[in-house]
Amino acid sequence: MKTWHWTTLIILIIATLIAEFTLLSDYDSHWWNSIPGFYAIWGFLSCIVIIYVSKWIGKLFLFRDETYYDH
Amino acid sequence: MITELLFFPAVLVLLGALVLPLAKQEMRPSLFLVFPLAALATIWIMPDGFTIKTSLANYELILVQANSLSRIFGTIFAMIAVIGGVFAWHIKDLGQQSSALAYGAGALGVTFAGDFFTLLVFWELMAVSSTYLIWAHRTAVSQHSGMRYLVYHSLGGGILLTGILTHLNDTGSILLSSFPETFTLASLLILIGVAINAAIPPLSAWLPDAYPNSTITGAVFMSAFTTKSAVYVLMILFPGWSILIWLGVAMAIYGTVYAILSNDIRQILAYSIISQIGYMVTGIGIGTEMALNGAAVHAFSHILYKCLLFMAAGGVLYATGKSKLSELGGFASKMKWVVGLYIIGALSISGFPLFNGFISKSMIVSAAGSAHYEWVYLLLTLASVGTFLHTGLKLPYFTWFGKQKSEFTVKPVPKNMIFAMGIGAFLCTLFGVWPQLLYNYLPFPVDYHPYTVYHLVEVTQILIFTFIGFWIFRTKLDGNPKIVLDTDWFYRKPAAFTRTILVNKVDDFFGLAERVVHGIAGHLASRFDNPMAWLNPFSTEENNARSYSSPAGTVMAFILFAFLVFSLYLIT
Repeated sequence: MKTWHWTTLIILIIATLIAEFTLLSDYDSHWWNSIPGFYAIWGFLSCIVIIYVSKWIGKLFLFRDETYYDH
Repeated sequence: MITELLFFPAVLVLLGALVLPLAKQEMRPSLFLVFPLAALATIWIMPDGFTIKTSLANYELILVQANSLSRIFGTIFAMIAVIGGVFAWHIKDLGQQSSALAYGAGALGVTFAGDFFTLLVFWELMAVSSTYLIWAHRTAVSQHSGMRYLVYHSLGGGILLTGILTHLNDTGSILLSSFPETFTLASLLILIGVAINAAIPPLSAWLPDAYPNSTITGAVFMSAFTTKSAVYVLMILFPGWSILIWLGVAMAIYGTVYAILSNDIRQILAYSIISQIGYMVTGIGIGTEMALNGAAVHAFSHILYKCLLFMAAGGVLYATGKSKLSELGGFASKMKWVVGLYIIGALSISGFPLFNGFISKSMIVSAAGSAHYEWVYLLLTLASVGTFLHTGLKLPYFTWFGKQKSEFTVKPVPKNMIFAMGIGAFLCTLFGVWPQLLYNYLPFPVDYHPYTVYHLVEVTQILIFTFIGFWIFRTKLDGNPKIVLDTDWFYRKPAAFTRTILVNKVDDFFGLAERVVHGIAGHLASRFDNPMAWLNPFSTEENNARSYSSPAGTVMAFILFAFLVFSLYLIT
């Protein structure tokens, strides 16, 4: 990841936040629409939860050696 | 009747499966494409409400029934048969070519069937013909996997048939129509039978078991037909069944968790199918016009990008002979086209704007929102974060980028494979940029616009922050050379024990019984070999029993005859 990649991402995030506060400021069809930047938070939290919970379940119950069914 | 059969898409494609062996080998790849193209043409010539009817015993069968929903599914099945045919252009295995066409015929037959009987026939045709696409891989693993697949689907077909017969007994009708939302024996059995093909957990383990073990080209057909034809049948029979909402959400998350854990690239994609079908099942469960439209359009989009992804994964397997993340890495520069086209599929499945996942997945999620299933909305969004994470980031990153994890050479991928991927990528982009092309043909009028500021803000924020999360924790997702237990454990692990109890022990018992009976017979034969030893113990004469057998036989026959005559006399 080069610097300009990160710069692009940051510009995009800022653009979405501006759009959210100007164009969508009165949008309230769901309870979470009153939380600013909710989808950014939800996306990041989901990402962490999915990675950690999956790995945890995997280690606890699901991972086996590749030859597990052979014997 | 003969001219009517020309309007029977399934028969057209099945005809291809029968004609192909008669053609010369060089002709077969191009001939392969003719039949699904012809089917595609008939699907679009048939007007709405077109039917072909026949009767069997006292029942009226509707072999073909055209409506907007079956046209959507039929179109995409025929298109995939064509794209798959281009992808498999270099294949010289007649068995694979014929069974792929028969498989496509099965999917088309199910899609246009108007009654349960026709449906079941094509349902079983799919099960049998697709099994060959696993066996044709010709490894010991695929032999076993194919057998498990066949047994599982035979069980599913059996349950479906039982349900159909119960339904017939209850209602006297074999025509397909939606069930009222009550659990009767018939509806439950049919639901289970269809759920097996739709890979709804816990009945889903056959899918990630079989698809990674099928042939490179076979997996492309398999990713399209079986599960999505089951989604179609769910839409016809069980729209608005609320149990499907939560089954669908569970599926979407279940597929995500397993795709995160899997190591084999085609297994990751297989689990990702389960996750994606979760969206469609949820949409069917919600059952509003928008949700059903969403399920149909998502099935269409999903088939396109999933077949593109399977083609690219097949390209990796073809070029390197490897399919495990823990053994790949660091060769993106050697297959730029495949990487680029895969990325288009990955962007589509992740729901990037301008690609077809964006215009279909968001429709189901929005339908959940407008039907006030708020948690369904949030959990489906969570699952789509997972989709971007495993199919969009983990798989390409650890397959092609990073450092090389084992020694392998990279063969060039045939041009026809790249070309087929190109068609897939083009269509993914086309429908993403121009959604009306699809929306105009959906079963219900569409009042939905995917490209709104709200959706663009939502998707951009989610995707960017998922990417940031991936970049921070990416080492956690690297391939782990392990297998992941699924519900197939319940029939694979006890298999040895079951075989011991039900086969080996029974065999041993019969073997023992046989030995005992033979022993007794042998012993008696040797004891009675010299009858004089018993009749006249004082004689020393050696007499062989065989010399007595014909006079003794005559006496026996007379006794029996007298007995017969006497009993006849008693009866009369």
